[in-house]
Amino acid sequence: MGAEGSERKLIREAQRGSREALAALYELHWERAQRAAYLVVHDAAAAEDIAQEAFLAAVDSLGRFDRRRPFAPWLHRIVVNRAIDWGRREALRRSAGDPENQTIAGQTGEPAAGELMPALAQLPPEQRAVVVLRYLLEYTPGEIGRMLELPRGTVNSRLRRGLDRLRDLIEVER
Amino acid sequence: MNEDRLRTLLREEPLPGAAEAERRGLAVVEGAYAERRPAGRPVLPRLAVALTAAALLAALLLSPAGATVRGWIGEVFTAGVRHAEPALTEVPGGGRLLVQSGRGPWVVRPDGSRRLLGPYGEAAWSPHGLFVAAASGRTLSAIEPGGTPHWSVSASAPVSDPRWSPSGFRIAYRAGGTLRVVNADGTRNHVLGPASAVAPAWFPPGLHLLAYLDAAGKLRIVETDTARMLASAGASPGVTALSWAADGSALLEISPRGLWLRRLRLDKLATGLRLGGARRIPLAGDAIVRAASFSPRGRAIAVLLSRHNRVGGPRSEAILLDPAGGPPRRLFTVSGRLDQLAWSPDGSRLLLAWPAADQWLFLPVGQANRLQAIGNIASIFSPGLRGQAPFPRIEGWCC
Repeated sequence: MGAEGSERKLIREAQRGSREALAALYELHWERAQRAAYLVVHDAAAAEDIAQEAFLAAVDSLGRFDRRRPFAPWLHRIVVNRAIDWGRREALRRSAGDPENQTIAGQTGEPAAGELMPALAQLPPEQRAVVVLRYLLEYTPGEIGRMLELPRGTVNSRLRRGLDRLRDLIEVER
Repeated sequence: MNEDRLRTLLREEPLPGAAEAERRGLAVVEGAYAERRPAGRPVLPRLAVALTAAALLAALLLSPAGATVRGWIGEVFTAGVRHAEPALTEVPGGGRLLVQSGRGPWVVRPDGSRRLLGPYGEAAWSPHGLFVAAASGRTLSAIEPGGTPHWSVSASAPVSDPRWSPSGFRIAYRAGGTLRVVNADGTRNHVLGPASAVAPAWFPPGLHLLAYLDAAGKLRIVETDTARMLASAGASPGVTALSWAADGSALLEISPRGLWLRRLRLDKLATGLRLGGARRIPLAGDAIVRAASFSPRGRAIAVLLSRHNRVGGPRSEAILLDPAGGPPRRLFTVSGRLDQLAWSPDGSRLLLAWPAADQWLFLPVGQANRLQAIGNIASIFSPGLRGQAPFPRIEGWCC
């Protein structure tokens, strides 16, 4: 049985009440979901929340889930859309100078280290999301367009602009 | 470097706290999964369930073999635990209770003997139970557990929610719509700012840091001696109470609609404080939070939930949550409405109130002790009162 068939079996068993199947599904998908969220939002706690919320939505919809469809794109769609929303809200707060949820005497956020995160931080959340969907989760521009409800041309242009910016910052070459 | 290098960077970027997050996430997801109704399970009409249950109960109770079953049902389905102690002759697990009755606060000693402190409307223990802060009308007083008053201060509005600082040197309280702090000797009584009708909560490790909700419903943490605000965030919806982890690492926002947890990090000089985002703790969808509190030691959270049983009646659950993750541990489930919750000083027991049964339940948290119930609680704290006595409120369980 291939990976897809195995995943369908897990979903079927989870729909029937198997905790082991649910745990196996979780183990299969958690790390990538959390990583995708983290690379978009750059906040470990927020990424954990977003991944948790996506899995809770999955549990909530498990009974209605169409087993013929792959699970990962459905989960990743939730993760990335929520991560984009979170990133937009944060950007809005920063631009408005809203002290809400910000530390008064301390500093929020994990310090960016290495070459990737500071470079990704230069991109708007929408561009980060398409880069993550394309190069971490390996979706095609057409699939990304369907997940984010964007025209394929918009996805391609965001990818191109994102990569150009990253190339400037970390010398990514095509 | 090429696109493959970008793929590698994205795959290999370290995720802070990934393993712990994965464990917490699994516990949350498994908890939600355990609460869901399995797919395909037939849903019986509520009336049919009720009729079936009634018929089953009747058959059991009328049959000779039903004699033992009747005892069990009595414990679980009728108002109150059977074989409850009829009188308060000791505090199970020891320690002293502070209990607010219609006549005022009572101090209950470990042997069950009680002393009425006076005509005060609210009361709170000082650290180590050396004093009691008591509110009455527009006055805040510090009194000894024997009832001797030490000092009083007056405010321009009714005083409520007194809270003694863990250091023993400050008392925070609300006066109308303002939050005030006074030294524990009655001096330097001053306003901190406008506040919502939620009791303030002192940071347990001992600094004079206070969490409260301001008049706009924002959660604030202030250093009360300097009035310096260390952190501020929008409070979670409908918050009615705050509770700190014993080590000050987390703050719980409690609302009937849910529980939200914030991580907190304080630098070594207590000059900077990082307040994390509010993380909702998943609970069953129909659950109403009646009370919740961090353990006085360790980091467990006790939660009292109200739900509906299968025939639509009230059901209460006491559960323990590990804020770091893991499935909730169910301590007690009963058909009936419990409210109020207090930890014993050593964290080994929970005291729950069951007003409809006129009982207190002393619930063991570990395996070593047994559930102990004490009845006639209302009349114990309203001696001499004819007619229906009001059920008292547990204000604290001290050393």
